[in-house]
Amino acid sequence: MADDLKTPWEYPFEPAAEELIGFADGAIENRPAGIPSSYDRGGSIRWTPESISEIHALSQLGRYQIRGFNTFNKSFPTLDDLVFVPATMTRLPLEGYRESCDTGTVLGDRPGLVEQPLELDIPIYIASMSFGALSAPAKAALGYGASKVGSMTCTGEGGMLEDERRASQTLVYQMTPSRYMLDLEHLRKANAIELVVGQGAKPGTGGLLLGMKVSDRVADMRSLPTGVDQRSTVRHPDFLGADDMQIKIEELREATNYQVPIFLKMGATRPRWDVAIAAKAGVDVIVVDGAEGGTGASPELLMDHTGIPTMSAIPAAREALEDCGKADEVKLVAAGGIRSGADAAKCLALGADAVMVGLGSMIALGCNSPRYLESYQALGTSPGRCHHCHTGLCPVGVATQDPELESRIDVAAASERVARYLTAMTMEISLLAKACGKSSVHNLEKEDLRALSMEASAFTGVKMAGIDKPFTW
Amino acid sequence: MGSKNMAERVEITAGDRPVREINQDIRGQVQAGKPIVVSNTMSRHNLGVGLPAGADILFKGSVGYYCGGLNDGARIHVTRDCGWGVGEAMATGHITVDGYAGMSAGASMLGGSIHVRGNAGPRCGVAMKGGDIIVEGSIGYLSGFMAHAGRIIALGGTDDAAGDSLWGGEVWVDGPIGSLGVDSKIIEPDSVEVESVEALLAQHGLDGSGRDWKKIVSAQRLWHFESRDARAWLMI
Repeated sequence: MADDLKTPWEYPFEPAAEELIGFADGAIENRPAGIPSSYDRGGSIRWTPESISEIHALSQLGRYQIRGFNTFNKSFPTLDDLVFVPATMTRLPLEGYRESCDTGTVLGDRPGLVEQPLELDIPIYIASMSFGALSAPAKAALGYGASKVGSMTCTGEGGMLEDERRASQTLVYQMTPSRYMLDLEHLRKANAIELVVGQGAKPGTGGLLLGMKVSDRVADMRSLPTGVDQRSTVRHPDFLGADDMQIKIEELREATNYQVPIFLKMGATRPRWDVAIAAKAGVDVIVVDGAEGGTGASPELLMDHTGIPTMSAIPAAREALEDCGKADEVKLVAAGGIRSGADAAKCLALGADAVMVGLGSMIALGCNSPRYLESYQALGTSPGRCHHCHTGLCPVGVATQDPELESRIDVAAASERVARYLTAMTMEISLLAKACGKSSVHNLEKEDLRALSMEASAFTGVKMAGIDKPFTW
Repeated sequence: MGSKNMAERVEITAGDRPVREINQDIRGQVQAGKPIVVSNTMSRHNLGVGLPAGADILFKGSVGYYCGGLNDGARIHVTRDCGWGVGEAMATGHITVDGYAGMSAGASMLGGSIHVRGNAGPRCGVAMKGGDIIVEGSIGYLSGFMAHAGRIIALGGTDDAAGDSLWGGEVWVDGPIGSLGVDSKIIEPDSVEVESVEALLAQHGLDGSGRDWKKIVSAQRLWHFESRDARAWLMI
């Protein structure tokens, strides 16, 4: 019966004609209604239009795809899944217009080991982005903008650009595995040194700068042939594990006479263990860069399929510092996809001492701004969607080495936009902090947050909204 | 410099004192313009880091990691062996090692020279950006790994993967080569280059004549993804 519904029962009338049973959808003659919509929609959750075009691309290129910007993986949680629960009856808020909230941030305050800790006016600074990935005017504008608001910048891997050193009152100098241009003279010009063992966008791999951006000046600073596709080493040339790194840290302190802090930057993968090891090795500041972190160029799959979200990395890193007894000595900086003061405030509440903004500051410079529309069109993109950091054809002159394109940056105007962006973010943070009753942005804590999703609660240990308990396993 | 009368040198004892104190003593005597002998070196790490031109130091014994690291002009002589990264990131200056030079000798150095009388370990001249490394003995595997520029000269051959993944720079070998590294090739040096190498060796009291030179350089296949054209990346 089940597979044969032809019963002996008959209609008490003539069966309908076939052409009367089917009714067309009105678009194509005789096409039954209801069916074509599935062709339009493409319903497969595995074989989406994106995954189909990905295979078309791979099957033509015969290699992975490379691009800039940051991850397009839609499964990453966002900090929007957390909200603040300001003071109400159990706590007292501060008066926004008359009571102050301290935003000063000190990194590397370790008496005896660091004579000159970094004293910033705000808990935000400009992330490590190299000259090479960014144009010289972009680097200079970031430096001036940061200096204006008492913040700092970081050189990135491409060596110390004179334009940036001049512009930045406080400059972190990166020591990446490739060590471009790194010598004593440059080390001693730095306000802090950052050992790099990875980055959020592409942990486990070295830097990448395609030949279109390896101009004569970039090549000269990196002692590379002009125009090569530069793939940097991922392992340091003269240390491998944490035991060696401990000796390297001592060398850097000796070479700089214990004046400046030593940072370590890592991509967020296993922060609970990686951060503890780095802290034990003796660094002063640990930068944990979540998988949402931006990059000038990366194999696309690394951005989309490696690393853990910034949101989940911060509490793990904070707990690691506490577990190994280093929370009082070692400062924690969070990075990776931080857009606004709200994002930054949530990172502070989750356990960061400061945050870095990379893409956000590029966007303040003019990245993806609605100007030079014909240049966007020529790239087949539009403002708000562009991610041509890797090709060096940046329409607004931020991520390029092309003299004509980079001349589109007005350094004075771009510097001011960076300064205002950092100022606005800081105001946003202190607005939230005051509403939570905090006289310092560094007093923000997990208890000030609630999670809107079980996922966000599970990743962070933040209590679920209304339930007032963290999701536990 | 090793020949400088020992009596003329100010003696600093390393022993188990904090390295910060030892280096402070060294810097103090360097400032006073005195040549130095460091005794009882005990293979301590980070000895003689970041010293300026005019410094003249004899380490009597073996040293640990990063001896003469970030050198900025000093002349350094180690009478026995070195740990990892001797002369790493050196800008200018000269380092002589009488014994074995450990791993990653001259890592990422930008200039100056290192003369190793014994053998050198693996990854000698890794990521170097300039300067010269001369090894009288043999060099371990991955010599010159991802070097950008500069010369590595091995008078006693190399282990496997010689000149691996070079961007630029040269690895000169007299003696057997275990195997060539990724993207490297042996080319015939011209007479001007050979004269230049012989002159360099002569500066260090070595005879470069009549040697069977194999000069390893980058084959440049790893310089580019398959296309140099920005347009090729536009579909991404």
